[in-house]
Amino acid sequence: MTPSIKMRLLLWVIGGTAGLLAVFAFVVYGVMYRSLVSGFDAVLASTARTIVSSVEQNEEKIKAEIDERELPEFHRAKRPDFFQLWREDGSILARSTSLKEADLELFGALLNPVFRAVRRKELSRGKSAIRGALLNPVFRAVRLPNGRAGRAIGIVFVPKVDEEAKGPAQPQKVTLVLARETAALDSDISFLRWLLTGATGGTIILALLVGTMIVRQGLKPLDALAARIAAIRQDDLSTRIPVDRMPAEVAPVAQRLNELLRRLEEAFRRERSFTADVAHELRTPLAGIRSTLEVTLTRPRVGGEYQQAMEECLDIVRHTQAMVNNLLALAHLEGGQTILHPDALPLGEMVDSTWRPFADSVRARGITVESQVPADLTCIADRNTLLMILTNVFANAEQYTNDGGRITVTARRAGESVDLMVENTGSLLSEEDARHVFERFWRGDVSRTDTGSHFGLGLALVQRAVTSLGGTVAARVDGGTFMVQLSLPAAPAS
Amino acid sequence: MRVLLIEDYPPIQKAVARGLREAGFAVDVTGDGEEGLWYAMNNNYDVVILDLMLPKVDGLTILKRIRSEGRSTHVLILTAKDTVPDRVQGLDLGADDYLVKPFAFEELLARVRALARRSYQAKNPRITVGDLRIETATQRVWRGQEEVQLTPREYALLEYLAVRSGEVVSRTDIWEHLYEFNSEADSNVVDVYVGYLRKKIERGGKPLLIRTFRGRGYMLGELK
Repeated sequence: MTPSIKMRLLLWVIGGTAGLLAVFAFVVYGVMYRSLVSGFDAVLASTARTIVSSVEQNEEKIKAEIDERELPEFHRAKRPDFFQLWREDGSILARSTSLKEADLELFGALLNPVFRAVRRKELSRGKSAIRGALLNPVFRAVRLPNGRAGRAIGIVFVPKVDEEAKGPAQPQKVTLVLARETAALDSDISFLRWLLTGATGGTIILALLVGTMIVRQGLKPLDALAARIAAIRQDDLSTRIPVDRMPAEVAPVAQRLNELLRRLEEAFRRERSFTADVAHELRTPLAGIRSTLEVTLTRPRVGGEYQQAMEECLDIVRHTQAMVNNLLALAHLEGGQTILHPDALPLGEMVDSTWRPFADSVRARGITVESQVPADLTCIADRNTLLMILTNVFANAEQYTNDGGRITVTARRAGESVDLMVENTGSLLSEEDARHVFERFWRGDVSRTDTGSHFGLGLALVQRAVTSLGGTVAARVDGGTFMVQLSLPAAPAS
Repeated sequence: MRVLLIEDYPPIQKAVARGLREAGFAVDVTGDGEEGLWYAMNNNYDVVILDLMLPKVDGLTILKRIRSEGRSTHVLILTAKDTVPDRVQGLDLGADDYLVKPFAFEELLARVRALARRSYQAKNPRITVGDLRIETATQRVWRGQEEVQLTPREYALLEYLAVRSGEVVSRTDIWEHLYEFNSEADSNVVDVYVGYLRKKIERGGKPLLIRTFRGRGYMLGELK
């Protein structure tokens, strides 16, 4: 199953929020980290400056006059700071009490000969301004002699010259490394990390809750639509979904659905009326048989009367059987169960042979018949189906032609198809009626005088059959003349 | 009793008309709504049997017209339409009864008899006039303890006089209720049948039951 829209929306919202928050948290973390570390480094640098300022050069001798009493951080028992000073030749000038006999390590640029060289060059140019200044301090995370994590500043500097000293002295370099434990900084940073992680996580959880609510609220119209659809019952398709208050995204769905419902309702209505019609058409002959038999049996009759009643019943049975056959043929055609064997058939011959059974009764009623079907006209059709089509069209024409009227059958080739027109005079149908003649059980009101012999199925059958042969059929009424036009696929000219 | 049958399916038309006639009813038959409406408007029928799907004018229209003209003729709808809305519509438009095809002829006959009786406020299927007893269901007649054998036409005449007993019934009335529209007979035939009937029910010196009112008609039983 495809994940639900709710789930997808939620995933996208949460994913997006989480991504943005992560980027934001990283940026904040980075900035805060740098500012915390640089704050730490600034304190280190200021302590370093104090030490630097207490180193003096007297002629060629360098003195470190560091009063540790004023700098308690270097001898306190708990988390002391450390420093160490080297002379230019690498010998140790001084170290903090806290170091005892241990050494701090030189690191980074302090070890770099080029660095030293650069410094020397700068100094030899006699830049007095840089005397006593902190030149390019380097910072580094280090492991302290007591094994704890710390951070160190390393400086190479030129000590100031003792004012009491006389004569120019060759400036000498001193290297200072000052280290301090970073436990407080680390805990600040880890607090920051937790804060950011917690805030991000919390926000994601909140976003999940709020997002769920928003998504649920946002998709409510869909739920409402689903509920409305679920409420539609098969036996009441007249329900329509109100579209006017629907959001613009859902309204088209509801509209399409309403259209579908309308079509379904129409189809169901047609089916229901068809079923009702079938019931009616079966009940009527049954009623005829029953009353005929019952009335005959109400009292003793002479033999001839029984025979007559039986013949009447037999007639009804025959008509009913014909109707049932038509119904079945119709059902088979509509269900696509009729197996067709298309063949090139000579239309003229088919018309003639189908017409033959009607000829006598038509002649007896004084009806003129005119048939003009070119002998070379052939169409592609299933033989039995075409026979059935022609029989029904002719039966219809024969039935509705007025006595002394006229039936005209003409055919012609029209491009890729063959057109057959059957016209009869004496039609009482209106042009509006002509549109209904292919509906099952529809019949012009007037034809009802003849209940029992005609069932309103003939032309419906013709239409389905012609369609199954890939043709079309149309009916027209023009001033009392009823006309059926069949178009069937033509056989390719040989 | 006179019945109009408007039914367009020939087998039913034929069988029902025959059965009703054999049961002593005068039956006018048509298979056409327009004609049926004309018959119903121009004759005094005791009962109209009405199909709904009819050519030219449908049954419900006929019913509406009959009622809107203020005619109280009893109408029985006889149709293949069997849904509840169909029945309700028919009865609401003023039908007195509704019977669905296919039906038992006996039932139709019984319903028509009941409706015909009700035309004369006679709900009891047994009519008694003095010592004359008529069982309308079986169409048997007794005078005292003795059963009287009547032909269908004689019976019809007696029944008609009986449901209107105590009233003077004109010869035209009798003729209109006992003879079909296209009947050859004229109203003089009424006198002939009254004569036959008298012979049978007043046989053997029994007291007179049918009295003649010259120029007005006949009356069964005592004047109300």
